[in-house]
Amino acid sequence: MAIIVKLDDLLHARRMTLTELSERVDITLANLSILKTGKARAIRFSTLEAICQALACQPGDLLTHQPDGDTQ
Amino acid sequence: MSTSYPAALGLTGRVLRLLVALNLLMGTFILGLLIASTVAAGPVFTALGVKHPLDDWSFVLAMRAVMVLGLCAIPVTHFVLTRLLAIVDTVRAGDPFVIENAERLQKIAWAVLALSLLNIVVTAVATNASSARNAIDIQWSFDVTRWLAVLLLFVLARVFEHGARMRADLEGTI
Repeated sequence: MAIIVKLDDLLHARRMTLTELSERVDITLANLSILKTGKARAIRFSTLEAICQALACQPGDLLTHQPDGDTQ
Repeated sequence: MSTSYPAALGLTGRVLRLLVALNLLMGTFILGLLIASTVAAGPVFTALGVKHPLDDWSFVLAMRAVMVLGLCAIPVTHFVLTRLLAIVDTVRAGDPFVIENAERLQKIAWAVLALSLLNIVVTAVATNASSARNAIDIQWSFDVTRWLAVLLLFVLARVFEHGARMRADLEGTI
């Protein structure tokens, strides 16, 4: 998908585990894992807000657009 | 209402299974009648109320044609009933909004359309064969409900397909 979720990088920078984030944002570990691995089809604004609040970041820090065909 | 729903579904499932069995029984009966009519045409058609069957071969052939058309309807009806049963089973399992059900509904719609067309052919054969001496008691009438049901099934299949796709999207939403 052209939208890349950089949750892993953000968690690493803040020395936070996915389980800790799951407890803070009240979203199941399974769902956060889906989001982290880029398997999610969509993200709710409420989820985005909760993650941004927990990680003290902007939505743009979490998501990035990579045009199709580009390699990372 | 919600408490009577599972009971209604259970009843629907049982009724459909009964209809599947009755349809197969009907198929066996028609096949038996067709075979008997070729082995002993005179007695069989006399028993069916045909006057002087051996002198009215075009009428006898028309009756056999109606039997063959009736036999053709058996697998189509079986197809409709078993697909409907599969849909009811998914409802009972609590997961009816799947793309497979949309496909099943569309196939049911085509099958019901085929049955409606078959009905027209049977009526045409019966009307054409009937004379003052012998008559097949099948009257032609335009059944609005039948054709509306076909349209409704096609529309419902599309609605189901759309709903299933929306649900799939929702499932991937975090």
